[in-house]
Amino acid sequence: MNPRLLALIPTCVALNVVLGRVVAELALPVFLDTVGTVTATALAGPWAGIITGLISQGLTALTSGQMMWLAFAPIQILIALVAGMAAQRGGFATAPLALLWGALCGILGGLTSSVISYFVFGGVTTTGITALNAVFRYLQFSLAAAVTISSVVADVLDKSLTFAFTGLVLRALPIRLASRFPTALRAAGRE
Amino acid sequence: MSQPAAPAGLAARAHPFTPLIASLAIIALAFILPVPGGPVVLALLLALAVPLTNDTAAFIPAAWLALPFWVLLFLLHGVMGEGTRVAVGPLMLSRPGLELALTTSARLTAVILASVLLIRGFRPGRFVDAALMSGWPWTAAYLTAATLNAIPRFQERAVRVQDAMRSRGLRVRGSVVTRALAFIPLALPLMLGALHDVDERTFALATRQVRADGSGRTPLRPPVDTAFDRATRWGFLLAVAVAALWRILG
Repeated sequence: MNPRLLALIPTCVALNVVLGRVVAELALPVFLDTVGTVTATALAGPWAGIITGLISQGLTALTSGQMMWLAFAPIQILIALVAGMAAQRGGFATAPLALLWGALCGILGGLTSSVISYFVFGGVTTTGITALNAVFRYLQFSLAAAVTISSVVADVLDKSLTFAFTGLVLRALPIRLASRFPTALRAAGRE
Repeated sequence: MSQPAAPAGLAARAHPFTPLIASLAIIALAFILPVPGGPVVLALLLALAVPLTNDTAAFIPAAWLALPFWVLLFLLHGVMGEGTRVAVGPLMLSRPGLELALTTSARLTAVILASVLLIRGFRPGRFVDAALMSGWPWTAAYLTAATLNAIPRFQERAVRVQDAMRSRGLRVRGSVVTRALAFIPLALPLMLGALHDVDERTFALATRQVRADGSGRTPLRPPVDTAFDRATRWGFLLAVAVAALWRILG
């Protein structure tokens, strides 16, 4: 691992944690706690994103006193892989493109997290998603369907905004700085 | 980051790997032991064992974290669940739903209690020293230490950015749209500043000839790994292995 990755990964993990808290303080109905994972991937490739995501998940689980969130670690790998594909294809070049890649990531992530949520947590995870589950259950959906729909809806919104914001950051980076990261210029469509 | 309290508990005094292995083993047991009895018995045993760790204050944060799961699982499965209904006071509740709610709640309570005990005794510096002493790769130890140092630094910077933006008239309260619009002026400077820092830190690491395969470090005061610590860790690992075999063969 080269010095640039050694410097980038802890920074992106910290950004995941701190931006998640900024969003919580603003009481927004999203998480945006994977911006660091997507940014690390867009700047330095999927492996950087996977390591960032897994460390973030581990730290969040540890520091929140709720180690069961480790069950969602595979989602971090999935996010890094989709972000890696997006970066290779200039998926952060414009806001609409980033939103579309984010929506794709949200659909895949939502489907995966609904399986984890259903089998590990009995459908109860964060308050917002659980409230959505309850609404769908009230509308006579089965528990599996309610968990799937609410996870996908929440993840599509969250990941679309995450990818769009990452795209904004990548396009705002000075060329001199962006060119020092292996995949930043291609990801932002500035090559 | 939620700062752990500073108890003189067993978890804080033990070798850093011991509470970590114990917590991971309890989490594994919570999912391996047969339902519905296994997770309930495990949660009860763990609650009874907490006084032995000399950190009974851990019950308070654990209760705050576990309570929402009990309430939401009861509502989602007990009240809104399907199957045979039973009368509990004035309510007609789902019997299989109640069983599922009890099992899942007990399982999550065991996980939360083990996690809270772990984090209250967790000291990042001691953990990194222990990791280095046991032969972890330098990269892993550096990433752990650098991340744990970076989080409070960026947290502090986020507060400074927020104060600066609010003094320029940024509104962080109001409708969802108002709050959503406040996110970009708060987060963008933080992100760009952080990526500039990466550049400087890379230069600092490169000039010190830092490589993943070199630059070993010797801890000044490595944590003592006593025979009791080692026996405890092996005991927990053995318990997981026995439970797993019991489930597979039984």
